[in-house]
Amino acid sequence: MNEVFSSPIIKARQLTRIYRLGQVEIAAVDHIDLDILPGQMVVLKGNSGSGKSTLLSLLGGLDQPTEGELHVAGRDLRKASPAEITHYRRSSVGIIFQSFNLLPTLTVLENTCLPALLAGKPSPQVKARALDLLDWLKLTARLQHPPSHLSGGEMQRTAIARALINDPAIILADEPTGNLDSRNGEIVMELLWELNNKLGRTVIIATHSTLADRYAGLSLFLKDGVIAEYS
Amino acid sequence: MKKAVFLVRLWIWFSLRQLRSQYWRTLTVLLGIALGAAVFTSVRLAVNASVDSFANSMDTLAGKADWTVVTPGARVPEGLVAALQKHPAVETASPLLSTYVRPAGNGGEPFLLIGLDPISDRDMRQWSSTGTSERGSSWLTLMRTPYTLLPGEKLSERWHKAPGDSITLEHAHRTVDFQVTDILEPEGLALAEGGGIALTDIATFQEFTGLHGWVDRIDLRLKASAQNDAARSIAAMLPEGTVLEKPSEARESGKLMVRSYRLNLSVLSFVSLFVGMFLIFSLVSLHVTSRRHEMAVLRSLGASSRLLFFLFLLEGAFFGVVGWVAAIPLSSFLVRRLVEQVSATVSHLFVRVQVDQLPLDPLEAASSFALTLFVSLLAAIQPAIEARKVHPREVFLRHASRENGSPAPYCLALLGALLILTVWPLVRLPAIHGVPLSGYLATFLLFCGFSLLSPWCLHLLGSHLPPLLQHVGGQPAYLGGRYIRDSGARMALSVGALITAVGLFVALVIMIHSFRGTVELWVEQSISGDLFLRPKMSEINRYRDPLPPQTVQLLQDLQESVEIVPYRRIFLTYEKVPYQFEALDLSRLRHHASLLFLQGHPENIFRELEARDGILISEVFANQTGLGVGDHFTAQIEGTKLDLPVLAIFRDYRTQGGTVHYPLERFTKKSGDTSWSGARLFLKHPGEDLEAAALALKNEILTRSGDQAQALEVTTGRDLRRIILRIFDETFSITSVLLLIALLAATLGITTTLATFILERSRQLHTLLAVGASRTQVRTMIIWEAVLMVITGEGIGLCCGFFLSYLLIFVINRQSFGWTFIYSVDWTALWISLPLILGTALFAALPASQLVFQRPASQVLRE
Ligand SMILES: Nc1ncnc2c1ncn2[C@@H]1O[C@H](COP(=O)(O)OP(=O)(O)OP(=O)(O)O)[C@@H](O)[C@H]1O
Ligand SMILES: [Mg+2]
Repeated sequence: MNEVFSSPIIKARQLTRIYRLGQVEIAAVDHIDLDILPGQMVVLKGNSGSGKSTLLSLLGGLDQPTEGELHVAGRDLRKASPAEITHYRRSSVGIIFQSFNLLPTLTVLENTCLPALLAGKPSPQVKARALDLLDWLKLTARLQHPPSHLSGGEMQRTAIARALINDPAIILADEPTGNLDSRNGEIVMELLWELNNKLGRTVIIATHSTLADRYAGLSLFLKDGVIAEYS
Repeated sequence: MKKAVFLVRLWIWFSLRQLRSQYWRTLTVLLGIALGAAVFTSVRLAVNASVDSFANSMDTLAGKADWTVVTPGARVPEGLVAALQKHPAVETASPLLSTYVRPAGNGGEPFLLIGLDPISDRDMRQWSSTGTSERGSSWLTLMRTPYTLLPGEKLSERWHKAPGDSITLEHAHRTVDFQVTDILEPEGLALAEGGGIALTDIATFQEFTGLHGWVDRIDLRLKASAQNDAARSIAAMLPEGTVLEKPSEARESGKLMVRSYRLNLSVLSFVSLFVGMFLIFSLVSLHVTSRRHEMAVLRSLGASSRLLFFLFLLEGAFFGVVGWVAAIPLSSFLVRRLVEQVSATVSHLFVRVQVDQLPLDPLEAASSFALTLFVSLLAAIQPAIEARKVHPREVFLRHASRENGSPAPYCLALLGALLILTVWPLVRLPAIHGVPLSGYLATFLLFCGFSLLSPWCLHLLGSHLPPLLQHVGGQPAYLGGRYIRDSGARMALSVGALITAVGLFVALVIMIHSFRGTVELWVEQSISGDLFLRPKMSEINRYRDPLPPQTVQLLQDLQESVEIVPYRRIFLTYEKVPYQFEALDLSRLRHHASLLFLQGHPENIFRELEARDGILISEVFANQTGLGVGDHFTAQIEGTKLDLPVLAIFRDYRTQGGTVHYPLERFTKKSGDTSWSGARLFLKHPGEDLEAAALALKNEILTRSGDQAQALEVTTGRDLRRIILRIFDETFSITSVLLLIALLAATLGITTTLATFILERSRQLHTLLAVGASRTQVRTMIIWEAVLMVITGEGIGLCCGFFLSYLLIFVINRQSFGWTFIYSVDWTALWISLPLILGTALFAALPASQLVFQRPASQVLRE
């Protein structure tokens, strides 16, 4: 790997997220310390319920930690205001989900453009970039289709295009291959690897599957909200 | 700006497309709001048209006059004109007479005949004739040739008369041939009364009506140099009883009477907007719940919570704007039907109006747009706030969750009770600039309050009923009951549409029934008499022409076989409130008729009236003036001053304002006025067939009157009572239109609410299917839910309706018309219609339950 030794892009100290269900408290993420360098490819593994999705949602600014410190891309996410966090989500991270989460009333092209438009970028520029991305992802023939007309692989590729439209430094993927057959799963993994390898993005993948193993620069094994193993 | 453009774009992508894909639901809601907006707008336009045409008529009649000289309850001596003209401050003094006359023969429609001095009037009012180029010749002809007249265009067309033709006109006492000199240009004075006027010279007018030496009023224009105290010095030269008035006063007092009626209709029609509002609420909140996950996705992509809020607010605005636009053709259709009814009602009850055109009032259009938009935004605001609360974290949850539970049912019920309580003080506040804001707000709060009671009622029903339901309807009924129990605040507010519609329906049914019952009783007791006799066109000419002396003599000759109860009726104003002063022979009348007193026993009241000097006033008059029993009433009638205590208040549904009754003997003694405006006759020996005897008496009177017969209007008591009831039925027919609309809206409301709830739960219902429930069981469950929901809605709506009817009868009607009714509930109508609404709802539930099975289970469950 040719990355420069620089300060970590993600820095977590004693990061904790506790869910309260009545009297019961569940520490989904339990005092985690973590440093991730720019351009690293990280694979998060662990059993169901071990806290992978929770950790990703903290990193993506979708949720607030209960305790601890979290610095991502030079931002203190604990102290940031809701407006700053919204801005962070728009500009610094792209998220890919297991169930794709495309908006059903928008076409492939519109779904792809949406985050950039939300960020207030000028429409012609956004469209040009989206067309480039979709061309790269071999979706040109599908631009005006609603998501319901797409196959699972096509949906996930659209989601990847959407995650990339704002040029985020960090890509977070939660079970990106979970709803795909093995061939399409391969394709998605290759794309993510390309993003990391060729474009130097920091990519964090949470997954059960072994597909990602061979691309992993760093593997973390979560157990009950704690990092049980680095490799 | 850029942000707004993006917001609209995102809204089109996110919301409009969804609305389009579920077009039937969208259309129903649009129809609901359009119906509401159309009813509201057209009712307002129709009332305004009446008021405007009245005001315009009064204004064109007043012309450029600065002051008007009148004698309340009587006429002004013509000799005053010359004296006033000599006053240094007076530029012009122009006398005017007017009366309604009609072409001779049956069915001739009355029109306003105006008698004026063509020379002095030139400075006062604008009018000209078409035929001759120089106006000069036609007005000269008016003056030179007796019995010539200038009709308006509309009249000449109606009569098919051209210049040179002659037409026979009849007035109270005489019938004469007139010659049409020319036709009036449709401008200025010619437009008064919707164009139904004709001009004649003052001398001709006086000869025709027998009013030599008298005029109705003298209009004054002051010189530009006139001093401020000119009015006072002019007033000083007027004889006793004659006063100086601002010409706008007549217009203002007329408008004052109509104002409350306008308020009444506005509030009632506003309710139909509410129903639309509940429909919007129920659809927008359905979207917020069912699209929660999509909203979380938007949030995760960087949408702010404010953006989501505006996205759903925009959905409300969309329904408001599009609904209002859709209402335009609907209201232009409605308004044409309403305007006739409303102007007929205004003419019967308050002041005579002739609406010939519908003014397209931009202000009224703008305000109805603003109100529709406001109501729609208001409906969307709660769901939009709910949308704000969506957390980006929820994107990881597979399915829409109801994160923050809605407030406890009893909290909502408390809030609802509080809202209902605030209605009471609110309805007592007066309207602001004629806009009944507090009335709107009160109605709004009333419906909201009752809707908020529904979660608690549903909860109670759902908690206690399921075991029983299981007995009756098995497992599906049990499940239906449980769902109702847990459905919470959202369903409550959707049931609100049903509550509103049922409430309005019940309230109107009760009001109309109470009204009909009371008026019938009143007509039975107070309008008693076997034969009624008065000069022709008395009503329209405000009883200004008394019975001819020969007729009075004739009646007195009949005393052997007939009891005569004469009356003298005079139209006056009391502190700007118009009323009818009626002196009548109460001591004789009480043997045959009774008055419906608000309080006290009739016998005691009549005994008191014999013992001491005093008056009886009608409820309307009491409400309009604030006078009560024991207060002092003062009046100046011709030369007579009256200062009398109020002895009692009676119910009176007579039109054209309040009434004051005073014993005729005393009035004659005080004023020396012995003339009769009319008389009621009671047969002393009616025999077997009362109607035949009355008709025989009528014939006898007409035959013995000879030439005078054509000046008389003789009606049998039975006919008169029938006419009065018919007029009242017409008056309330507009309310019946509202009633129908309420029912229509109720059906719409039930259908959308049910469909909404079913679609919202497709997943859950399919899961039921997947775990082994049969389609019939699911369908039965849905129908049980519908039954419970509709019964709750109807129950609460019924309470709400009773409440509203109470408000309508004792507060709003009192403000609008000045009268209240004897409260009585039309149980038959309610017993028939409430099950009918339930039936409609169940009928609507069938297609809705079918919706569930439209999509394959596998697809629904996979989503
Ligand atoms: N919103 C929530 N409320 C309460 N508990 C939650 C919530 N979300 C997650 N949890 C709990 O937190 C723990 C971690 O959940 P998380 O979804 O992060 O696990 P995961 O590793 O992603 O599992 P999987 O592999 O099944 O996706 C679990 O015990 C879960 O039950
Ligand atoms: Mg997970």
